[in-house]
Amino acid sequence: MSISDKDFEQLRDFIYNLCGMYFHSTKKYFLESRLTRRMEATGSKTHMEYYQLLKSIRGNEELKFLMDEITTNETYFFRNVPQLNALETKLLPEIVETKNKMGFRKLRIWSAASSSGEEAYTMAMILLEKRNTLLKDWIIEIIGTDINETVVAQAKEGVYNAYSVRNIPDLYKRKYIRESNGTFILAPEVKKFVTFNKLNLYDDSKMIFMKSFDFIFCANVLIYFDTASKSKVVQHFYNNLQPYGYFFVGQSESLHGVNDKFKTVHFPGGFTYKK
Amino acid sequence: MDKNALIKIADQLVENIDDLPTIPVVATQVLQLLDQPDVQIEELADLMLSDQVMTARVMKMLNSPVYKPSHEITSLKRALVYLGLRHIREVALTTSFISAFEADSGAFDVTTFWEHSFGVGMVSKTIAVKVGYPDLEKAYISGIIHDLGVVFLSNFMRDGFQAVLENIKDRPINLADAEIQQFGTSHCEIGLSMARKWNFPDVYCEVIAYHHTPGEATIDPVLCAIVNLANLFCSVRGLDYGGREWVSFNLFDEPAWQILKKEYPRLAELDVERFCYELDDAIPDVQELVRSIFNSKE
Repeated sequence: MSISDKDFEQLRDFIYNLCGMYFHSTKKYFLESRLTRRMEATGSKTHMEYYQLLKSIRGNEELKFLMDEITTNETYFFRNVPQLNALETKLLPEIVETKNKMGFRKLRIWSAASSSGEEAYTMAMILLEKRNTLLKDWIIEIIGTDINETVVAQAKEGVYNAYSVRNIPDLYKRKYIRESNGTFILAPEVKKFVTFNKLNLYDDSKMIFMKSFDFIFCANVLIYFDTASKSKVVQHFYNNLQPYGYFFVGQSESLHGVNDKFKTVHFPGGFTYKK
Repeated sequence: MDKNALIKIADQLVENIDDLPTIPVVATQVLQLLDQPDVQIEELADLMLSDQVMTARVMKMLNSPVYKPSHEITSLKRALVYLGLRHIREVALTTSFISAFEADSGAFDVTTFWEHSFGVGMVSKTIAVKVGYPDLEKAYISGIIHDLGVVFLSNFMRDGFQAVLENIKDRPINLADAEIQQFGTSHCEIGLSMARKWNFPDVYCEVIAYHHTPGEATIDPVLCAIVNLANLFCSVRGLDYGGREWVSFNLFDEPAWQILKKEYPRLAELDVERFCYELDDAIPDVQELVRSIFNSKE
């Protein structure tokens, strides 16, 4: 069922206010197709009927299903290109310079919802490429965590399908990916940079030990949390960062109203949060 | 470098160009008419209607989704009433400028340039609305004309400007700084020099000169700050001269943000993230406007 502009805007605002994820006009048809599936599953006949369901007591549960529909297949290598460009062009050189001045040549990066590992390994490839230049003699630690043990195991294995690797630039693909019978195997030199563990972001006793990161990534996870939980988890991320560190969320996410300590730093095609 | 020294070099550069575009005859007459104390809107409308391209462009500028008048303005007279006498001058000058620089002979294509300019106009107006700045038309026009110096460099200093663009590609280098290295002056001062030649009102000359350094403005620093922020936002959200300049900024540390917040404390509540995402959504409107303006030659 095609969605009217008015219904689209109403649903977009509702999702934005509750989850902190914005649907661009260009994503209208995408949202429409995902909504169709959820409307069928819930027996809603019109978009407004479904909207009423989202606003009802059962809404919270339904919203999680909708978010699942929306974020499926969102994990692949080199996913957020503007973010990676900003990191390479400005943010990484800036942090390296700061730490060089302090004589502290160690870089710590955390992929806080690492799923099957694509984000963490993307960072590993990018940093590996700078081993002989910007990051010569630096210690690099990349940590990936996820609440789901199955995906943590997949991440450790480092074997991917064609969809996951489709966005990897040729330079990296040639160097670090080997194809074997339709699967794509990650090179050991990339794998050794990254450690994967199970972690629940709600678990305060574990979160306080995730210390001294320069960059933290957490894409498409906070959208599942209510505002109070979101604030708590984001405060942890804030504490876990070095004083000059950066926190990245997903491409259409917003932390507005969640934490007033982070500052927004803007770059072409996106923004990040600076401690 | 001292601003006066930069301005001096800019004046020389502009002076050296023999074929600098001049104001179209009708625009000159409009400006003369505006200087008379008892000018009537009807008289102005009749005069402007004799230049169909100008008329069409004024109507397009004011009726686009970018500018969003509360209802469609269907006659030029109505447009002039809507603008008020105080803004007719700027609109006449702006449409003249568009006519002067519509040929695609510069270092980059003119559509990209005007998309950025109209984008900054739109965002300046949006910021003006959000903070409560009283003169929305002024904010809109200021945004449209802020980079006049860039179009001069692109057209008349083509090779040097091409070198500047190569130099800053994918590097976090400020365009104005790179221009000063190349030419000894930047698009801010060159724009100022041109705007003075064309007799733009002082407040607009100031926006052109200080849109990168709003803290130095004296006539209307708030207006300069609005255009500065609008320019920054457009530069990171796809209305960016086709990505030729790699811009990054820490919003809350920007002097413009501080200037605006001091004057309009409610700015602190702005949902910056959503503002960016809505800006992405508005890009097609800006592109459509620019297309329609450049197709409005009868």
